[in-house]
Amino acid sequence: MVASTVCATPNEGEFKLQSVGNEGFLDRHNSQIFAEGRSFSGNERDKLFLNRGDGTFADISDLSGCDSPGDGRGVICADLDDDGDLDLFVHEIQRERHHLYRNNLGGKFIKVRLIATSGQHEAIGATVIVHGPEGPVAQPLTRGAGFVSCQAPELVFGLGTADSGTVQVVWPGGMKENFGTIQANSRVLLTEGSGQATNFAARPRPLPDPLPKGLLLRMGDTLPALGMLDAQGELAILDPIALADGGELWINLWGKSCVPCIKEMPLLLEHDKSADLRVVLLCTDPPQHRAQAAPIAAKRAAGLADFYLGAEPRDVAAPPENYIDLLRLPIPTTLRISAEGKLLGVIRGTVPPH
Amino acid sequence: MRDPQPLPLLAATALLLLGCSGSEDPVKADPAPEAQADQEFTPIAAPSKPMTDLELVEDRTEEVADRLLSFSAVLVKQDFEAAKAWLADDFLGMGFAGLLVSSETTQLQGVVSRDFDVSQAPIVDKTGLIASWEETFGKWGQVSSVIWKVKGAEFQQGGRPSGRIRLYLHATGILPDGTMQSFAAWGWARVKRVGDWVIDRLEFTSYNFKTLSKAPYVEVTNAAGVGHTFARFGSDQNRSFHFNGAAAGDVDGDGDWDLFVPSDERNFLYIAQPDGTYTEEAVQRAVDQPDDGTGAVFFDFDNDGDQDLFVAQVGWALEDDRGGHHCVLYTNDGAGNFTQASELAGLGSPFVAYSPTVLDFDGDGWLDIFLSCYGMVEREHNNSWFQATNGYPNALLRNLGEGKGFEDVATKLGMAGSKWSYASAAADIDLDGDPDLYVANDYGDNEFWINAGDGTFEQQSDARGVTDRGNGMGVSFGDLNQDGRLDLYVSNMSSTAGNRILDRLEDSIDPETFQVLRKLAAGNSIFFQEEDGTLKRLPKTAGGVGASWAWSANLADLNLDGRLDIFCTNGFVTGNLAFDT
Repeated sequence: MVASTVCATPNEGEFKLQSVGNEGFLDRHNSQIFAEGRSFSGNERDKLFLNRGDGTFADISDLSGCDSPGDGRGVICADLDDDGDLDLFVHEIQRERHHLYRNNLGGKFIKVRLIATSGQHEAIGATVIVHGPEGPVAQPLTRGAGFVSCQAPELVFGLGTADSGTVQVVWPGGMKENFGTIQANSRVLLTEGSGQATNFAARPRPLPDPLPKGLLLRMGDTLPALGMLDAQGELAILDPIALADGGELWINLWGKSCVPCIKEMPLLLEHDKSADLRVVLLCTDPPQHRAQAAPIAAKRAAGLADFYLGAEPRDVAAPPENYIDLLRLPIPTTLRISAEGKLLGVIRGTVPPH
Repeated sequence: MRDPQPLPLLAATALLLLGCSGSEDPVKADPAPEAQADQEFTPIAAPSKPMTDLELVEDRTEEVADRLLSFSAVLVKQDFEAAKAWLADDFLGMGFAGLLVSSETTQLQGVVSRDFDVSQAPIVDKTGLIASWEETFGKWGQVSSVIWKVKGAEFQQGGRPSGRIRLYLHATGILPDGTMQSFAAWGWARVKRVGDWVIDRLEFTSYNFKTLSKAPYVEVTNAAGVGHTFARFGSDQNRSFHFNGAAAGDVDGDGDWDLFVPSDERNFLYIAQPDGTYTEEAVQRAVDQPDDGTGAVFFDFDNDGDQDLFVAQVGWALEDDRGGHHCVLYTNDGAGNFTQASELAGLGSPFVAYSPTVLDFDGDGWLDIFLSCYGMVEREHNNSWFQATNGYPNALLRNLGEGKGFEDVATKLGMAGSKWSYASAAADIDLDGDPDLYVANDYGDNEFWINAGDGTFEQQSDARGVTDRGNGMGVSFGDLNQDGRLDLYVSNMSSTAGNRILDRLEDSIDPETFQVLRKLAAGNSIFFQEEDGTLKRLPKTAGGVGASWAWSANLADLNLDGRLDIFCTNGFVTGNLAFDT
């Protein structure tokens, strides 16, 4: 539902729907409160419930790695990298609209695609039943279910520790057809009336390792020279290639209120002593906090080049917000940049020991 | 059944309420002097003379809840010094460190769960509490979330505003080695307003820590090239309630799943690349406009062997010339290049369409589309909370075949109705060879259309036990109990505020009405199919349904153990300010 506007007016003992002027209630309530930046049933994370097999479900959402708080709407659940397990794509309504989650679990599976011969060839509406280790599991082939969501025309069945499962299809039209025992980790095309499963080739395309939220770069992208300030507030260019000096450059993103950031500064200093590694600090605090932040860097990491936000004009270098969404990027985060200025990797959280 | 909407209830529909202030200033209403603070820790007692005005109690509750949300924000940043401002100078309470484990279990997927003995919790002062928080949670390299949730509240009449709140505290974080941890505690807090609300006593009744060495999922959005940053919801640029979905299909016939994402200002088409990334090609492939689509489906409209694309639109404003779009059909040339074919029959009428569902309802070999149509929210409100009848008629677009277009036969088949339909799903629930259709309706009863096999349907939601009155938001079929029969999962909404208020009202409203309201705030529903084709609701205690304001749910075997699991999107609107309950 969209938010309601029912208000109780207890002193008068009446109930009314509110409507203001000709704009209607949405402008009075939803749009107004959301324009102000208020929440309504917000901060509710997406849910992952695992089936225990006994008619109950375990909520592991907060350990799942896919419990975004960004007001999800549509979701696609498909094996996007063809490694057998099911990945997730979620469309949210907030700033970061699209979310792709890679499944890290793996396991044994049977993957099924269908071709119908007696009706529409896509076999939409067919039911596939795989007899696996936990009993027969039925799944329908759908296009358009959940809420504003359309799944890929492929069904994946887990096998737990079993090495095979038997497969049955109830086709549109009602024919029930057995396709016998299928081995684990098979990708099979089932054609109506054939009675035999045909293997189709795997197309593995491993999804990449993650980058942190708010980092607007892909691996291998070049980070240009950024327009920043130094500790004194003077224009200072964070030029990755020059700073790397032929080796590797770490750009450590930190903030004055981030305790782990401040704690790891001496360690960053140690890393900077390596022959082929330079470390610089990029403070993510707003410009007005530079005066409080700079002494912390000077005390905890004396000798490391430190950069601050607030550079104007920006015609001499790129604005950092084009590459890093500082409101969204968790800190501490350290960007690993090659001698050529390309993103090599990202260290999320504190850096490893020297 | 008549809508049970007589008045006092209304405050109860406060699961839907927001922004409704009482006429009385709650601050001025309590002129009595401040009570003397206790100096020793004793169990937190209920107020001796509790406030009784429901509206004032709820206003005050929301103040406390808002205040605790900003506390959460500080703790997420691990700004421990600033966090002290949320505690009274004379704070005493149970700390977070030094407790003994009372039980430890290893659960599904290797989750280690430890309960702690709260009776042995050390009592600490303000500095000690923050220190214990830092000791326990400061080791997290990244704090994912901290939530202080107000599950109940009572306030003292008179004196400085003070009260006792029932608390649920939940925090999640990631250790530097990637280990996922979550903390959950139930307890009580005594709060008082000293300028802002502060906690002056804190007492836990349970304390649980869960650890998982590796998260099942990791987000790879930006690395894979599908990141899209847009204005926050509520801003001028992003304020449409035409919520956008997503569709997967093999657009270019290469065997990989591509992703179409309808969106504001423009649509996105992510074409899967062999290296695991995606390239965005909506413009090149001519599906970038029109924008603002809701649901989308890939299917072979003209039976030529490739995946065409249908995008639903909320187009009622076309009727009075205020904008909007018709639903759009894009036909595929086989190589993934699309052409709008919206001049085809049946696509010239506007719909208030959200979730399209593809099915061949008449078994003629041409795929049809059911369109769930909602209400015209920008023009007219629902005329009932429980049985709204002013929704836009649903459509069943029968495919005319040979690429000719569609004919809307919903009215002819008695399926158009006037409910506020958000979503539908089709599956052969009775395995008789034809698709049945479940429709999830907001503000009313859901419908379960059983296909008679001759191209007509019979509405059997009551007969099969799946009417599920409430705020239906989504629906999916799958077998959730491994018996070879399809079961049903319906997304609904629930609300902490709604349940909190209902708790207060239980004794003052009639039981039937109370049950209706409780259902509205109860969350999602799981129905297991019985042998006789009826469906039976799984008790809430079985889990799998507590998802707050839920939207799309997917039933799939996410851990490949041979059982279907549930993933459900959740949450209405999260603002950028800390005002929410």
